[in-house]
Amino acid sequence: MSPYVPVAIFLGVAVAAATAFVLVPGLVARRKPNATKSEAYECGVEPTSDVGGRFPVRFYLIAMLFVIFDVEAASFYPWAVQMRALRVYGLLEMAAFVVVLGIGYAYVWRKGGFQWR
Amino acid sequence: MPTLIAPFGNADWLALAPVLVVAVAPLVVLLADLLVPRALRRTSALALTALALIVAGIVSLQGWGHPFSAFGGGFQAGGFTIVFQEVALLGALLSLPLAGRLGRDDQTGGGLALLLWSTCGALLMAGASNLLTIFLGLELLSLALYCLCALAAAPSAREAALKYLILSSTASGFMLYGMALLFGATGSAQLAALATGSGSHVLLALGSGLFLVGFAFKLSLVPFHVWTPDVYEGAPLPITAFMSVVTKAGALAVLARFAYAALPQADAQALLIPIWVIAALSMIGGNVGALAQTDMKRLLAYSGIAQVGYVVAALAGTTPLGLRYAMFYLVAYAFMNLGAFGIVGLLSRDHEEGSRLTAYAGLGHRRPFAAAAMTFFLLALAGLPPTAGFTGKLLILASSVDAGYGWLAGVLIAGTAISIYVYAKIIYAMYARRTGTAPEAQAARRPEPLRWLGVGICAVAVFVMAFYPLAPSDVLPQVK
Repeated sequence: MSPYVPVAIFLGVAVAAATAFVLVPGLVARRKPNATKSEAYECGVEPTSDVGGRFPVRFYLIAMLFVIFDVEAASFYPWAVQMRALRVYGLLEMAAFVVVLGIGYAYVWRKGGFQWR
Repeated sequence: MPTLIAPFGNADWLALAPVLVVAVAPLVVLLADLLVPRALRRTSALALTALALIVAGIVSLQGWGHPFSAFGGGFQAGGFTIVFQEVALLGALLSLPLAGRLGRDDQTGGGLALLLWSTCGALLMAGASNLLTIFLGLELLSLALYCLCALAAAPSAREAALKYLILSSTASGFMLYGMALLFGATGSAQLAALATGSGSHVLLALGSGLFLVGFAFKLSLVPFHVWTPDVYEGAPLPITAFMSVVTKAGALAVLARFAYAALPQADAQALLIPIWVIAALSMIGGNVGALAQTDMKRLLAYSGIAQVGYVVAALAGTTPLGLRYAMFYLVAYAFMNLGAFGIVGLLSRDHEEGSRLTAYAGLGHRRPFAAAAMTFFLLALAGLPPTAGFTGKLLILASSVDAGYGWLAGVLIAGTAISIYVYAKIIYAMYARRTGTAPEAQAARRPEPLRWLGVGICAVAVFVMAFYPLAPSDVLPQVK
């Protein structure tokens, strides 16, 4: 099982480090809390409200649509880099990819997915 | 790098033709949903979906008798694949008559597109002979189903979708881990390489164990079945019917291929013992669970757990005969289950699904034809003659005894005995009691020719298959 020895060592180090990060500060750190220190850190801006509130589902819809088309854009990069090597085959592949997403885009648009009601 | 350009030939795409039909059709359905006038949308979406499924079925049959390995061993065309593909397509097609009320009016097109993509996943799983293709098919099947489960107004639909999503993803995680270990054991994702590889035995055992846990979950076998009744109950009726056949067809194809073609001969029987034990537990657990149910969809969920247990039991010993009979019983199960769901659909009214068991009391007096058909399908599910259920169980008993798994045959008989009580109770309620709601006026009901057509096809098939237990004989060599 020698090829797995590095894996075991890696696993051991990871577990030990994670455990240490959790336990050691609790044992040795000095605690002098005050109001400012206990606040949630939010980019230096004072927090205005609790973060546990509820969002309208529309946020998630827009976020999901964004991710889908974002990934679409990201998928163009590898093709763009290897465009000449892939030749017509690559072009057709990308065309099929864009047509599928285009139909999805048309569907979302017509169904009012982009409208902020 | 010349290998980079068009690495696949025409034969590869030919093997995938039915999958491609079902993959492209949803795009047409979506476009039609945008372009067709509002009044015709539902009809056009249903018609296009049915057309796509039928075309895919015909295209798939063209490959009969020409087994070959496509995509560098990632996909296997041939008789084995075709049988499971046809079952999946049939399941999707026969759940369509129930889909008249799939979600709101503006959701039907999208819903049917998702249904087609889900079927596409099952078709892919039927031919998958590579761990990655298996996972791709499974996720395509499942991701579409999560959304479809939520396509109903009732809050229980969303509960079902969420439960299904979380539990199914957990199972996928198990399976993926198993796949990683299997890959680690042999260094190849091909199922054929697992069978011939001389990899680490520990990794192989662990990997196949986790893989089987994942698939036992997807097949809802005891003890990985607890999600099934809740999801079946909450999901819209057409989706429940779809799920009960199409996911089973896809997952059973993978399980059968894994059992027959992916394990080294020396270890296969030992590594597969857990799955036979799970099958035995399912045959008992599914039927015992069905005893206490008061909802038809939940009852059919438990019944489905037991039925899949029978199919898996047929594979015990991985004999060629067992595979043939498993396929026969799967087809029979598809017909009798879809028939029973068809009757539930017939009893449904606009805002109420006819799934409460109280709705069946006195049905024999109110709607004699529906009651007679339901009786026939329940007898088939119980495994009594003259139905395909009886013939199928007889064949499974014969093959499992022949393969040296007499104890599984014994459990099958015990499970059947329990199940007869479950189904007889409903039949008794339909005929013996005159209670229940007042007789409906015949004129008040809308005629439902499509649903009756679906039920009729199922009934004829269940009857005919009882006397002609045709099981393709030239399939086994095409597994690998």
